Amino acid sequence: MLDAQLQAEVADFLYREARLLDQQRWKEWLDLYAEDAVFWVPAPRMSGGYTDDPELELNYIYILGRAGLEARIVRIETNSSMASTPPPRTCHLVTGVTIENATATEIRAAASWQVVSFSEQRGQQLRSGSYDYLLRRAGSSFLIARKKIVLVEHVIDGYFDVYAV
Amino acid sequence: MPNSASYADLIDDRPQDGIFRIHRSIYNDPSILEAEYRNIFERGWLFLCHEAIIPKPGDYFTTHMGRQPVFVIRKEDGKIAAYPNACGHRGSLLLKPRSGNTKSITCPYHGFCFDPEGRCVSAPKRATGWPAELALTQFDLQPIARVDSYRGFVFGSLTLDVPSLTEHLGGATALMDIFVAPAPQPLEIVSGYSIYETACNWKVMHENGPDAYHAPVVHNNFAAAIAHREKRAGASGFRKTDTGRLTARIASASYDLGNGHTAFWQERPAPEAFPIWGQREALSRRFTPGQLAWMTERGRHVTVFPNLLMNDLASTHLRVYRPLGVDRMETIIWCIAPVGEPAEARAARLRKFEDFFLPSGMATPDDVAIAEAAQQASWAHASPWSVLSRGLHSCHEGPDDAARELGFVPQLSSDSWDHEVAIRGVYRRWLDMMVREPGRANA
Repeated sequence: MLDAQLQAEVADFLYREARLLDQQRWKEWLDLYAEDAVFWVPAPRMSGGYTDDPELELNYIYILGRAGLEARIVRIETNSSMASTPPPRTCHLVTGVTIENATATEIRAAASWQVVSFSEQRGQQLRSGSYDYLLRRAGSSFLIARKKIVLVEHVIDGYFDVYAV
Repeated sequence: MPNSASYADLIDDRPQDGIFRIHRSIYNDPSILEAEYRNIFERGWLFLCHEAIIPKPGDYFTTHMGRQPVFVIRKEDGKIAAYPNACGHRGSLLLKPRSGNTKSITCPYHGFCFDPEGRCVSAPKRATGWPAELALTQFDLQPIARVDSYRGFVFGSLTLDVPSLTEHLGGATALMDIFVAPAPQPLEIVSGYSIYETACNWKVMHENGPDAYHAPVVHNNFAAAIAHREKRAGASGFRKTDTGRLTARIASASYDLGNGHTAFWQERPAPEAFPIWGQREALSRRFTPGQLAWMTERGRHVTVFPNLLMNDLASTHLRVYRPLGVDRMETIIWCIAPVGEPAEARAARLRKFEDFFLPSGMATPDDVAIAEAAQQASWAHASPWSVLSRGLHSCHEGPDDAARELGFVPQLSSDSWDHEVAIRGVYRRWLDMMVREPGRANA
């Protein structure tokens, strides 16, 4: 059922995730993820392109399960991570939300993103790329079963974490 | 740096007085970086790449030696050569980053063509417009003066007058022999890599590696994050993460290996969490208990001056450093692993790598942030000295028992990984190379 209403609901859901990150409402952000969620940012290959076997190739981030995402937030909340204290302010722009496939239980959706972040340490940074979501229907909303994030840049200026991509 | 000052004035090395300090202008003086390019990066052995990146004839890898773009290529005869990545005709970059395979090298500018021996084999419109018999040899690529490899680690020097590679590596060879997995087990560079740029002088980052003193302070949050994850979701076998080195008192040692190379080890509180533990029985048939302990029960860290870091603390990795400016540097990082290891071990090795390293991990970003903060602090000229005298009184010449077990002879040994004996060795080598500059008086 690829209808405009589903497209709008999915887009709203993705915007909501972006806003929760920008507002640093970490608990509510984590609640968007399924317990077995996969959060995947592939790394570049030397010959070009990106890795695509996350189990046996290197990734920037490959988190299996919500507890691994929570660990990222625990790290921020120790207030002892030099790179994330305070976490950079971010502004996520999510656009081009497209339903790739939808079944009674799952929706595959794609989108483009840009994140402007600012910290005293590194000033303003701009990153961008694409999202590939696998959403699971959960009541009147969704849970994120998998989020794949591909970055445009091959060379990383500074560093990044789950909240700034 | 004031003209009257010499490099020796910047390294205040007086062990008899309990003093070892470095002047922080070495991090931000552009004239010092220029001298480092000339005296260190463009004159002496540099790590170029691992042979596993270029296994087949025609495989190449592009990199830099100081400011100079070069490429490393596997020739038809299986030997490895390196050339300036610059066309012999008009100097365009010949090969694009980072790696690939090519039968011949065609310049993208005017179409001059080169073979893997560096010979110019063709030029467009050769029959017209040039003097009668155009000698293509004038365009040949001039091989990098010295290229050699040790256990797959390829090094090059832009100058001929360097000692043999094994002489240069010295005590580091014993640690390279057992890095990841001992020969004859072949190693591979796992697919995927990262390049990141950091707003600091290359030496700030180079110091951060052999410096274990920072680990419990900077990376305690890593231990906290992992503790949460393992409490919530559990972890067993190789999927468990050993953070004991960040939180517990452990046996350890550190070494000045000579020639600016360094090493340290730390006892692993949970050695069974690392993939090599699965090979323990097979290894025990080939090695002494002392050697086996080095491979399976100790996290190890090695730096080879000036640009290679290899460590097996959180996971097995290689890093190569390059200065981009006085306050900017590039790091390339790879995961290195035994060829053909079981998928579960490989996956566990990679997940540990991603947890800790990379500009997106839970530890490297903090090292980067600290390095950038140290760079900014280097401008505090009112307080210009960094103190590196920890362990100065307790270190001793030659090997300790652990070094004897593995069979290497360091210049100096210290009985803790968080002593600064290794970093002092780096700066002694740095000074030694800097003052050998032609035309510059030794202090």
